[in-house]
Amino acid sequence: MPVRRSPIVAAAIPVVAALLLAGCATGAAGTSPRSDAASPASSGFPLTIDNCGTEVTFESAPERVVTIKSSTLELMLALGLEDRVVGTAFSDGPVPDEFEGAASGLEVLSDKVPSQEVVLAAEPDLVFAGWESNLTAEGAGDRDTLAKLGVATYVAPAACKGEGYMPNPLAFDEVFREFEEAGAVFGVPDAAAALVAEQRAALDAIEPSDAGLTALWYSSGEDLPYVGAGIGAPQMIMDAAGLDNVASDVEDTWTSMGWEAIVAADPDVIVLVDAPWNTAAAKIAHLEQNPATAALPAVQQQRYVIVDFPSTEAGVRNVDAVASVVDQLASLGY
Amino acid sequence: MSIGGRVAPGDTTSAGRGAPPEATRLETPARPGLRTGLWAGGLTLLLAASVIVAVTVGPAGLSPADVWASVLAHLGIGEPTLTPLRDGIVWELRMPRVLTAAAVGAGLALCGAVMQALTRNPLADPYLLGLSSGASVGAVIVIVLGVGLLLPVAAFVGALVALAATLGLASAAAGRLTPTRTVLAGLAVTSVFGAITSLVIFWSATGDSYREILNWLLGSLAGTDWTSVAIAGGAVVLIGVPLVASARTLDAFAFGDTAAAALGVHVGRSRVLLLTGTALLTGALVSVSGAIGFVGLILPHAVRLLVGSRHRALLPLSVLAGAIFLVWADTGARTLFDPRELPVGILTALIGGPVFAVLLLRGRRLS
Repeated sequence: MPVRRSPIVAAAIPVVAALLLAGCATGAAGTSPRSDAASPASSGFPLTIDNCGTEVTFESAPERVVTIKSSTLELMLALGLEDRVVGTAFSDGPVPDEFEGAASGLEVLSDKVPSQEVVLAAEPDLVFAGWESNLTAEGAGDRDTLAKLGVATYVAPAACKGEGYMPNPLAFDEVFREFEEAGAVFGVPDAAAALVAEQRAALDAIEPSDAGLTALWYSSGEDLPYVGAGIGAPQMIMDAAGLDNVASDVEDTWTSMGWEAIVAADPDVIVLVDAPWNTAAAKIAHLEQNPATAALPAVQQQRYVIVDFPSTEAGVRNVDAVASVVDQLASLGY
Repeated sequence: MSIGGRVAPGDTTSAGRGAPPEATRLETPARPGLRTGLWAGGLTLLLAASVIVAVTVGPAGLSPADVWASVLAHLGIGEPTLTPLRDGIVWELRMPRVLTAAAVGAGLALCGAVMQALTRNPLADPYLLGLSSGASVGAVIVIVLGVGLLLPVAAFVGALVALAATLGLASAAAGRLTPTRTVLAGLAVTSVFGAITSLVIFWSATGDSYREILNWLLGSLAGTDWTSVAIAGGAVVLIGVPLVASARTLDAFAFGDTAAAALGVHVGRSRVLLLTGTALLTGALVSVSGAIGFVGLILPHAVRLLVGSRHRALLPLSVLAGAIFLVWADTGARTLFDPRELPVGILTALIGGPVFAVLLLRGRRLS
């Protein structure tokens, strides 16, 4: 049986490795062990990390990166690493305005999960995937196969599904730790530290709603709604915004939830996820169509909060999502 | 009125014109009328009780008295004791869902019994002739294009296109419609339409929209409303009644095409008419619930083990048993893992398999 390490232990490995190899053991004073990951110097290679249960060793910082999904691309852009991106794939929507310039010249390999050959044709030294399932033989390639071909793989740690690896629950500390881990992988710890400092400050500046509202995070689904559950990014964003998730009892990132349970929960507000293929407007229309949901006070009084789909997976847009939710609650009168 | 040809007029029990009367007698249990009547009465009461009880069960935890007061109030008797929101749970979510489950279960079991007789194939089910894969193509295309309102129509059209393709292929290949040719043509159509469904899903796996498609493919009664009740219930009444009335034609088919023709049945015409009726009914059911497996395959066999294979008993009892079965399977699906929901197809197989095995073993001991 493979030895499973807890996320904290896993997090400590690159830190310890980096500290030892850098020969510089002065972590940022007064911070939690997790945020020490900000301190590895750019010379912290080779670097070995335990990524969702797969050991990945970086001899040097990757220079040719293929990103899969929006969360990974946006993290690269936030770290100022657009020059290292040789291809992007499976984006969930346009990048936010602030990254538009940086992203404009990037080559899009595929709208969906690219095949292994498409990925290899870009000659990457790293595939940075937003979901574990992107790295299968049917998708961009099996992790072991890619490793044999000299291509490293790295999955956004928040997307790890294995026991002991899946963040339970996901918290902003973990999201920020992942920024730092990425900073170590790409050899840009200072940029990562700056990003974390900026986002932590922005998060601290947000005044969560104190109205004690319950909320439904309605992601998709008409017959059987798919909603944000108790341990994933939706729960984290709602917590930070001061909302009480009606599906928080379900120990999963997202879950299906029947309409009867939703009507019985009678949420004060409904958070609608807006995606190009499944718009918030379509969800409102569906809520208003069924007499049972149309009778919900939240529907009758249009107490909706809208978030962009790409900001609902762990990544650099989560803090903005919290700010946006709080702003929208304020304009609803809370 | 029955669909298709009839047994010689005025001759109800023993078949005339050179039919094998002893075979008919072998199929007939002692005092079939009384026994069937008792079963029918018992199952009708059980169905009514099931609906009345199932509507009180659900994640919202409403008391049975409140639920029944709500239902009665909507039927024009008394006042509801629940808040409008909770009243909506009873009347707009639970009641339509329980009734749709009953209608879909009844229709699927009936279609299964008819298909098994028409194709003389014990493995036949309502989805045999490419019906569910055709309906799935229609539905999946609509879900991908995002036009939710047209889904039932698209599923219905898909099922009909698949049936037309199957019947066209079968008669073009054989000149006339034999059971074997029809089943084989159905297999060809099923695989092509199944591939188209997979292609659309593969091509469209955007974000989490594939979940909706998967849910639909697995079969589920989640999200049913009064429109679903009207579609499924209306189809069961309009198409199911003529199908049940064609019991004697189906009895004749059981002896083979030649014997059926000797019994005065217009074999080719009857088969096309009955297949089309079954397809229309299946299309209507699939359009509201997706393809729920097992009910149409297992329920007719279970009923046959209890009352024999005369269709005059088999068809109405399958209708009742199918309705009861799916009402309870769906009640389990929506409550067992509250607030999550289980696709009901998992439960129909999980309950249906063992129940059928018990009946099978019991049937062997009795015979």
